[in-house]
Amino acid sequence: MTIGSMLGDVVKSFFKKPITEKYPFVRQEAPENLRGKLVWEPEKCTGCMLCVKDCPSNALELIVLDKVNKRFVMKYDLDKCTYCAQCVINCRFSCLHMSEEQWELASINKEPFEVYYGREEDVKFLLEKAARGEAEEPCGEN
Amino acid sequence: MEPKQKSEKFVVPIGPQHPALKEPGHFEFTVDGEIVTNATARLGFVHRGMEKGVEDRNWTQGLYLMERVCGICSHVHAMAYALGVEKLANVQAPPRAQAIRELVAELERIHSHLLWLGVAAHEGGFDTLFMFSWRDRETVMDLLETITGNRVNYSANVLGGVKIDISDAQKDALLKGMDFLEERTEHYMKVVTEDETFLGRTRKIGVMTFDEATLLGAIGPTGRASGVQRDVRVDSPYAGYPDFPVNIITSDAGDLEARFIVRIKELYESYRLVREIVDHLPEGDLTVKVPRRIPEGEVISRVEAPRGELLYFMKSNGSDKPERIKVRTPSLCNWGSVLTTAIGHKLADMPMILAGIDPCFSCNDRMVMINGKQSETQVWDWENLRQYGIEYYK
Amino acid sequence: MNITFPSLIALLLFPGGLFLLSSGLFFEYVDRKLVARFQNRIGPRWFQPLADFVKLLAKEEVIPAGTIKSLFILLPIVALAAALTAALSVPLFGFKPVFSYNGDLVVTLYLLSMMTLCIGLAGANTEDRFSIVGATRALTQLFSYEAPFMLAMLGPAIALGTWNISLINQGATQQSLWFIISQPIGFLAALIGLMGKLELPPFDAPEAETEIVAGALTEYSGRGFGLFKIGRDLELVVGLTLIASFYLGGFSTPLDFIWKVFVLLLITAALQSLFARLRIDQTVGLWWRVGAILVLCQLVLIIVGNTLSPFVAPLFGG
Repeated sequence: MTIGSMLGDVVKSFFKKPITEKYPFVRQEAPENLRGKLVWEPEKCTGCMLCVKDCPSNALELIVLDKVNKRFVMKYDLDKCTYCAQCVINCRFSCLHMSEEQWELASINKEPFEVYYGREEDVKFLLEKAARGEAEEPCGEN
Repeated sequence: MEPKQKSEKFVVPIGPQHPALKEPGHFEFTVDGEIVTNATARLGFVHRGMEKGVEDRNWTQGLYLMERVCGICSHVHAMAYALGVEKLANVQAPPRAQAIRELVAELERIHSHLLWLGVAAHEGGFDTLFMFSWRDRETVMDLLETITGNRVNYSANVLGGVKIDISDAQKDALLKGMDFLEERTEHYMKVVTEDETFLGRTRKIGVMTFDEATLLGAIGPTGRASGVQRDVRVDSPYAGYPDFPVNIITSDAGDLEARFIVRIKELYESYRLVREIVDHLPEGDLTVKVPRRIPEGEVISRVEAPRGELLYFMKSNGSDKPERIKVRTPSLCNWGSVLTTAIGHKLADMPMILAGIDPCFSCNDRMVMINGKQSETQVWDWENLRQYGIEYYK
Repeated sequence: MNITFPSLIALLLFPGGLFLLSSGLFFEYVDRKLVARFQNRIGPRWFQPLADFVKLLAKEEVIPAGTIKSLFILLPIVALAAALTAALSVPLFGFKPVFSYNGDLVVTLYLLSMMTLCIGLAGANTEDRFSIVGATRALTQLFSYEAPFMLAMLGPAIALGTWNISLINQGATQQSLWFIISQPIGFLAALIGLMGKLELPPFDAPEAETEIVAGALTEYSGRGFGLFKIGRDLELVVGLTLIASFYLGGFSTPLDFIWKVFVLLLITAALQSLFARLRIDQTVGLWWRVGAILVLCQLVLIIVGNTLSPFVAPLFGG
């Protein structure tokens, strides 16, 4: 039976530095496997849509501009994504990976949450078409 | 609101919003001075309709939905689902995947028990133990983040195996982490069993005898603290447990102190298992192919969550979407023990008794129908349920 | 120190009034920071208690139905007034008490208990179940620690033969042996009794956050709650000053005050972080079984020592 059994801890912590990290002035390094924001490289994509089919929250949409020449634009909804990495596993050509740098994704307005990935001219083409109000041809899941 | 004038007893609500509860649930304790004479419970504040939601999603999407039933025990939910699907599809995940599943499950048990230690200490007013145990829990959270990529909702499972691998650097980090945690856990064991003020709050409080525990259906560490010898990892081993078995830990005292001791001893077992798995991890693939359309059938998948036995009933009709998934979480079984042992204790002991069963309210919200007198089974389909709901709320 | 301040300045500015209120906030900051450091955390910044106080004053005060409105509004003011008045007779910050007379020890001790009485009344006033349970516990705790605490404070008074706080302070500075060494049990009872009076952990059963939300003060918000909080901080200052002045050898200069009170604050913060919360029946049991008996023995020893000293002193040469 002891009284004050945490005395050793208490006295030791008085002389040590507190363990609290002063985020955001001090940032810890993120581990390699961290599942941050999704990144898509359009070079090797064949348009098989496996990533879109298995996404639990329907955060991915692959817009086909030209199927023969493999010109796709991927619309990625950051706020719907659950960061589960199922799409990364499904892709047979390693087009997708989850970044370990970009994990501070909070924002004040909704704009940064809609991300368009693709070759620059493709994305510009798509956005201009949307601005002109024409109907798109999304090929997402039914 | 009128005060109850005549009798001395009045009802103290530990209501949906209360500092003692981390999640909403409503309890009404009828109090006579400071002694509790009656207790009732009402759950259902966090019902999200997941069992219905999973019927619209295909099997892969359902895995991630089921993982989010609970935040603390997310991996065991995903593991139960994945094991069930693999059984339906008649495939076996490779041994390396099963071992990694067990590794993450044990790490999750460590984090859950340390979390519980802090929360129970906080309910008893011992804030220092709360702060220190959560500080040490950061070690295991960092380990999980290094291995799986996220601190909560690890998403380590895929249908047919796991998606993560353990490298050598991670193995060293794991072993170092286990050494640190074992030393701190020995210190906490000493605090919990020897500190006078803490013993005054836990010894001989909330006593549940072996007979009461079997009658009320207490499972998990709550039941094992009263001598019930039930542990799914030992009774029907799954995942990597046939190769890396676990010892069952029970106690006979049945009071709050016994529940503390059982959980801390389970921590020691988990450290031992993690070390064993890291040293003897079998080689091989990580996944095996599972077809998109799962063949017809029904299966029951049981695993041992940190709180007790978790049961999944899964029914498939041959398509790529599940037909029915029923989840029975362990906390649901343990409520009866709270309501029975609370009677006769003082109001000041209520939060600790509530915290003693390690309640996880988000797991809990199912509809429970108790058929006392009838002995035949009933099967209800969607129409019956809808009709019942309309009648109930009239 | 023997500076006499003109009474208006003493009441409003220094050492009473504004300076006293800000030192109450400062003591709360030091206490919270020490407890945080003991728990390996950072703790609040220096202006946190002031920010809390200002925020509480700015919030709307909600008066629940079923209470006696005038009592609801008056009780925090009475509690704060009692704490401020009690501060006038103690040697604050090392200076001579502003207003001292014979017997002010008893009056000060009763004024310090007013705060608990006001909290008890405030809790009984509302119809909320948590408040009623909290008020019952607060008054029960009052009955348990009051006797040993008062006896412990009377120990040095009896040893020095006077009931005037400033004379006790003077006498304590001239003693060759501090009272903490000659009356150790009294010191322990006084310090732990002060923790009970202020409802600091482990004696915070009347205010147990995880059981009864905020105890007797559950229905209070805004101004009333702010006044209760700052009254409690003032009681911390006054209580620590009294104990340091009696048991740690009195104050002759403000520097004396600072280091002695800081040592007491360190011990109090350490005691706060070491124990789990005691249930109300355990508190009562502890005080009446252990505390009262020990302090009574201490008192008997003091009286015996006092009557025997004229005979024993010549043996030690004066």
